[in-house]
Amino acid sequence: MSNVSRRKVLAGAGAASAVALGLAACGDSSSEGSGGVPNSTQGPDVSKNKDGAMDKYGVGDQFKATKPLKFSIMILSNAAYPYNANWLFFTELTKRTNVTFDATVVPGSDYNQKRSVMISGGNAPLIIPKTYRPDDEQYIASGAILPVSDYASLMPNFSDKIKKWKLEPDIDSMRQDDGKYYLLPGLHESVWKDYSLAVRTDILQKLNLTVPKTWDDLLNVLRAMKTIIPAGGYPMSDRFSVPPQPAGANNLLSILGEAYGTHAGYQWQATTFKNGKFVYTGAMDEYKQMLQYLNTMISEKLLDPESFTQTDDKARQKFSTGMSYVMSCNAQTIQNDNKQDIAKIPGATVVKIPVPIGPIGAAMTGSRLENGVMISAKAKDSPNLVAMLQFVDWLWYSDTGQMFAKWGIEGTTYTGNINDGSFKLMPEIKFAGLNPTGTKNIQVEYGFYNGVFAYGGSTKLLNSQFAPEEVAFQEEMNKRKVLPVDPPHPLSADEREQVTLWDAGLKDTVAQNTVKFALGQRPLSEWDAYVSELKAKNMDQEVDLTNKSYDRYKKAHG
Amino acid sequence: MVTVDLRRRVGATTRRPNQGSRAFNAVNAVILTGVVVATLYPFINILARSFSEEHAIRSGQVNLIPKGFNLTTYRTVLTDGTFWTNYGRTVEYTVIGTIISLVLTTCYAYVTSKKQLRGRGLLIGIAVFTLFFNGGIIPNYVLVSHLHMRDTLWAIVLPNAISVFNLLVMKAFFETLPTELEEAAEVDGMGTYGILLRIVLPLSKAIIATMVLFYAVAYWNSWFSAFLYMDRQDMFPVTVYLRNLIYGATSGTNEDASTDTALQIAANIKAVTVVLTVLPILVVYPFIQRYFVTGILLGAVKE
Repeated sequence: MSNVSRRKVLAGAGAASAVALGLAACGDSSSEGSGGVPNSTQGPDVSKNKDGAMDKYGVGDQFKATKPLKFSIMILSNAAYPYNANWLFFTELTKRTNVTFDATVVPGSDYNQKRSVMISGGNAPLIIPKTYRPDDEQYIASGAILPVSDYASLMPNFSDKIKKWKLEPDIDSMRQDDGKYYLLPGLHESVWKDYSLAVRTDILQKLNLTVPKTWDDLLNVLRAMKTIIPAGGYPMSDRFSVPPQPAGANNLLSILGEAYGTHAGYQWQATTFKNGKFVYTGAMDEYKQMLQYLNTMISEKLLDPESFTQTDDKARQKFSTGMSYVMSCNAQTIQNDNKQDIAKIPGATVVKIPVPIGPIGAAMTGSRLENGVMISAKAKDSPNLVAMLQFVDWLWYSDTGQMFAKWGIEGTTYTGNINDGSFKLMPEIKFAGLNPTGTKNIQVEYGFYNGVFAYGGSTKLLNSQFAPEEVAFQEEMNKRKVLPVDPPHPLSADEREQVTLWDAGLKDTVAQNTVKFALGQRPLSEWDAYVSELKAKNMDQEVDLTNKSYDRYKKAHG
Repeated sequence: MVTVDLRRRVGATTRRPNQGSRAFNAVNAVILTGVVVATLYPFINILARSFSEEHAIRSGQVNLIPKGFNLTTYRTVLTDGTFWTNYGRTVEYTVIGTIISLVLTTCYAYVTSKKQLRGRGLLIGIAVFTLFFNGGIIPNYVLVSHLHMRDTLWAIVLPNAISVFNLLVMKAFFETLPTELEEAAEVDGMGTYGILLRIVLPLSKAIIATMVLFYAVAYWNSWFSAFLYMDRQDMFPVTVYLRNLIYGATSGTNEDASTDTALQIAANIKAVTVVLTVLPILVVYPFIQRYFVTGILLGAVKE
């Protein structure tokens, strides 16, 4: 029994994603081809879908359905704050909007798989939040997902934020071959850099060094640290390698790649826009320079070679026992992990340093979009479609809705205002680094700051969640120039399938060789041979196709 | 008693342990001890972690002995309502599922063990077919949805009710039972069901105990169908809860992920949940295992 069922599970797991496209059409009677030439700019006719909707709804208005409505929704249950139907969030939401949820609760561990099965099985709830790009693309061809761009005019707050924060280029990067987009993304006012390096400041002091500002500074700091690290230790031993994306040491590669003007680690993407056209990222000179830097770190024994493969726990062990002084971190892990881990080392202190600056200077790239909400195509036939879009617009995109989803109710969970800096959680309410002595966790007890509903928003809203030192980090980062995002280059369904095939082989080659070059198992003098290997795996074809789709989109949509 | 004595005497006179067999025994003992250590170590480690404090686990100090011994983690997990709701579901699915599976598998196996039965080959063929081919995850999901079994107990216990592997084991066992017994019962006027209930089943306690173990363990450990077919949290078995706890926080770390995915569950909470989940089935195992040994031997070896 156990053998058989395990195999079924494995087969099923693979099938879920693979079959998702093919079968969706069978199960879903409401699906309609959405590809092809876009309609004119005017939105679809929604005169029959206005049941429960507000006649006049605009920016600043409180949405309240004209009669009680119930929307089906998928809700990710986070293990750290498991779903609870009685959360204050839900009761207050109903009070304010007249909307209740018919929730499909999905454990966060396997959210994507369940989403695929439900959409393909024709059973998807109308509101499908917590979708990361480009996961939405797999559902587009089957027509199971609503092209939300057609309905943007019904969502005043969403449209207003795009305009106010000049997010059009970011939004354009989501457009598909048909010029539409299918996901309502989380919107950030400014590029939010969360990841950087955690550095032991007491060690810096001991060595009479200052916080490294550039990657070259970092090398010198690590060299100095190496002189006092206990035997068997490395000045830097990194985390975020499991699962590798694609090569391990995901964050180190990510921020280093960005500093060199290329994409690696978490920010890996197959092609990069350079001098007016797309080139293959893994073959760029910048990528080679980045590898050269890593190679220096390894050959001088400044970076633990296990950084590319070890688990987070292993890396934290080394950090907590003083066998490493530098490692990757983000706003959460610096508080929850690094600070806790060194608590037992006498005199040890740690900070998250501003991301070191590299050859591209004090600049940063990055999208201001986040994971977002998909709407099932079935909603087209719902009499409540307009009310639902107004509801989504209010909860996810209005200032009031975002404030409510994140911090709850004024006077109950917080006081003051984020705009004038008077915002404060109630003394008994606890969240991450804020009010550590509080007794009630805002996520667990009340359901606010739930990753399904609360993300994005203004910089002030974002900063309200941080301890003062993180706010300082953000202010430092926001001084840097933001480089433009890559232009849209949407592929057709067939092209995407082809690229996916090429990409698998290419990505593997890049990932393997990234580690080999970095560790010195392959000398960088073999770089040209490596590029030929990429060419043998259809690198040029993939780049050509990307450039073709870029030209095509530019011609069609300006 | 007599036979045992006899065997001992025979062994003593004819099989004197020579050097080769002693070496064999020694190597055997070393290897098997190694296996025992390798399988026991993770268990004991988890157990030790469950009684340790978070920081000690994080810094890799906990091995076989708890460090910073405390029971607060147990108290935390034991007061979690969702954990107990889901635990109750696991018991419910395991008990009901095992009963249904056992009845169906026994009936199927008994019928197909009768060599004189026409169409027997076809029945076996149908069962074996499902061993190699199945509809796949999405058609199964659509089927279960259309039968209105989502969010009910039936979605878990019906689609997997008969395991073909268990069916074949049981069938092989029934085939070894002497047909004379059944013929005698028939002569005495018993019908098919009488024979099955009063003659065959009492003789099959060993295989039934084995099947109970197989099915119960499988239901206890299974999470996938519940994850797939259940949309409500209170319907999840504890395995889904556990899986979310262990994989939930680590899978979502992503450059543009929101902060919530970066949350980590404390290592000692994980350990406690694992211990509590595994414990009951671990305790049941030794009691059924003695049947399990004889059962499999009887079923598998045919003269």
